Amino acid sequence: MSEKVFEILSTAILEGDSETSAAITQQGLDEGISAEDLLNNGLLLGMEEVGVRFKAGDMFVPEVLMSAESMASGMTLLRPILADAGVQMAGTIVMGTVKGDLHDIGKNLVSMMCEGAGFEIVNIGFNVAPDEFIKAIKENQPEIIGMSAMLTTTMRSMGHTIKAIEEAGLRDQVKIMVGGAPVDQEFADRIGADGYGANAPASSNLAKQLVGLS
Amino acid sequence: MQVKKTNYLVNNTPTFEVLSEEEIEAIYYAALTVLSETGVRIYNKEGYDLAGAHGATVEDVTDDSALVKIPPEMVDIALSTLPRKVVIYGADPSKYKMELFKNQIYFGAGSDTPFTIDPYTGDRRRAVYKDVKNFARLAEALPNLDFHMSLGIVQDSAVGTYDRWQYLAMLEGTNKPINITAVDKDGLKDQLEMAYIRIGGEKEWLKTPIFSLYIEPVSPLSHSVEVIDKLLFCADHRIPFVYTPCPLAGATSPTTLAGTAVQALTESLLGIVLSQLRRPGSPMIIGGLMSAMDMRTAIYSYGSPEMALLSAAYTQITKWLGVPEYETAGCSDAKMYDEQAAMEATMNIASAALIGGNMIHDVGYLEQGLTSSAEMMVAADEIIDMVKRILKGIPVNDDTKALHVINEIGPGGHYLAHDHTFERFKDGIWQPKLMDRQNFEGWEASGSKTHRQRVNEKVIEILDRDEEPKLDEKMYKELKRICELADEKYKDEELDLDMFV
Repeated sequence: MSEKVFEILSTAILEGDSETSAAITQQGLDEGISAEDLLNNGLLLGMEEVGVRFKAGDMFVPEVLMSAESMASGMTLLRPILADAGVQMAGTIVMGTVKGDLHDIGKNLVSMMCEGAGFEIVNIGFNVAPDEFIKAIKENQPEIIGMSAMLTTTMRSMGHTIKAIEEAGLRDQVKIMVGGAPVDQEFADRIGADGYGANAPASSNLAKQLVGLS
Repeated sequence: MQVKKTNYLVNNTPTFEVLSEEEIEAIYYAALTVLSETGVRIYNKEGYDLAGAHGATVEDVTDDSALVKIPPEMVDIALSTLPRKVVIYGADPSKYKMELFKNQIYFGAGSDTPFTIDPYTGDRRRAVYKDVKNFARLAEALPNLDFHMSLGIVQDSAVGTYDRWQYLAMLEGTNKPINITAVDKDGLKDQLEMAYIRIGGEKEWLKTPIFSLYIEPVSPLSHSVEVIDKLLFCADHRIPFVYTPCPLAGATSPTTLAGTAVQALTESLLGIVLSQLRRPGSPMIIGGLMSAMDMRTAIYSYGSPEMALLSAAYTQITKWLGVPEYETAGCSDAKMYDEQAAMEATMNIASAALIGGNMIHDVGYLEQGLTSSAEMMVAADEIIDMVKRILKGIPVNDDTKALHVINEIGPGGHYLAHDHTFERFKDGIWQPKLMDRQNFEGWEASGSKTHRQRVNEKVIEILDRDEEPKLDEKMYKELKRICELADEKYKDEELDLDMFV
């Protein structure tokens, strides 16, 4: 019985079918299947297959994003139950493009991939000043801060933001990951970030590593 | 039959078209719909107030931006004052100038790559001042490169003022026209000051402007505060500028290429309207940089056939509008100058030249615009040379049909020793410099070198040449002082650590 639910659920994820994903997650809960089982044997199983196929070149970014969206639609139902049950989840990421920079797409891509990996995303947009990052940390208590910059001049904002987070006494509470076309590992190290994601899939893997999930 | 003329001496040029006139019109009128119904977001109060004062609808005003809807008649008025021909000169105006209109083609480098490949070691690393100067020296030496851009971001200077240092490095290397970038309005102001010094004052500048400015709005349909600041400053100071959105089909614009062209044109038209409102007659060039996202890696592909196709389509649209155009070619997604780089560059150079794009930039770009390559630049010079041979076409007239020569030689015999051959072969038969056409023994005797080795040797040969400095000591010091004053002025914005090198 539950096997069938898991199969439909993981297929819905693979096909990027958000409606089915939400409906079947709800159906599973109604039938008494545990939220943890629905997550591990349904949603995540589907996303794992998505990861395999993407890596092999059999799936493409728009398809992966649809899958991530359908994962998120199931997670919305499961998250409160899992939290109540004290199940350790991936956690929350506050994601933003730094001050002075209007480039949005890369950060959104990373957000969606991370959502697919089970994270809750608080997307605070672009042109985000250091104090807005700090405000978002206080409000959302995220595990991770993700910062994006597309220009070498705005890369400085990443350094300024990290410094501001330090000065606000919040640096120990969050892991910080950075990315964007001109950014590299060396720069991430210099400004004291905890990690650098070279692309969206690498960033979602990095996020998992930063919270000790892989 | 005379089909089409380029600035290359031609009688008869092969043509390449990707849109019909009906399709061009359909795209243009669709862009007018987007501009008036969807609108564009302008993050600049001066900018949206200017549009609002002349009939645009300004809605949804936030702390830092507004949604601006421009009615078609404002575009008509703007187009009526927009110059159809823009001329940009080199620091030596008697030697170098670009006359941008219609089918005139000019090739030049791309700009502001964070990384470069060191031609001496082959290593990929952050670009520094010396690299930018060296690329400018290559541009000066290569005959098929007509203008230049900074092939590398200077990253051994202060970060917020790198634009001034880059311009200085380029002025040290070349007297050809330069398409600069600027961090913001102040960066532009400083570089204009530098240009005045270089050319001998504002009066000289107005006669022979020696740079244009590259301005890039952010797709979809967003125009940042710096972008509009720069545009208005350019209009005020008669600085020709390139207004080129860089939409990415499937990501920052519709995945269908027609939709991407509509959106890009909408973004450019906003630039046209604002510049002409600020000062009718302001010279500008509209872009030409569109591609499709690679759906596996999510990169902005610089070697895709879609980029060549979109650039070609945009060129046709701009010709129909009568606006000088900014094209893209000579670039690739390869990580080094290799077979992929040569294939992609050949394809996009050929299509850009055949369609007749005016200011064709990004020669020397690798790795989707993140890395510059001297080898790519030198090899592209020869690719352009080959393509220009094709553009010359096959003139057909009594002399070229050569019936009298055929009759004279008759069956059997040969043409090698004939005057007709002797007098015309240099013009009619293209001669390679870097391609090898020897037989195996000849190639082996000259060192069995691959194309890449020969290209690298050419790079090194140019870079190792002794050259007279382009700037005398006094002028160099004056220019450098502007860079140093800017560093001092903005030092508080820098991080208290070395960001790059």
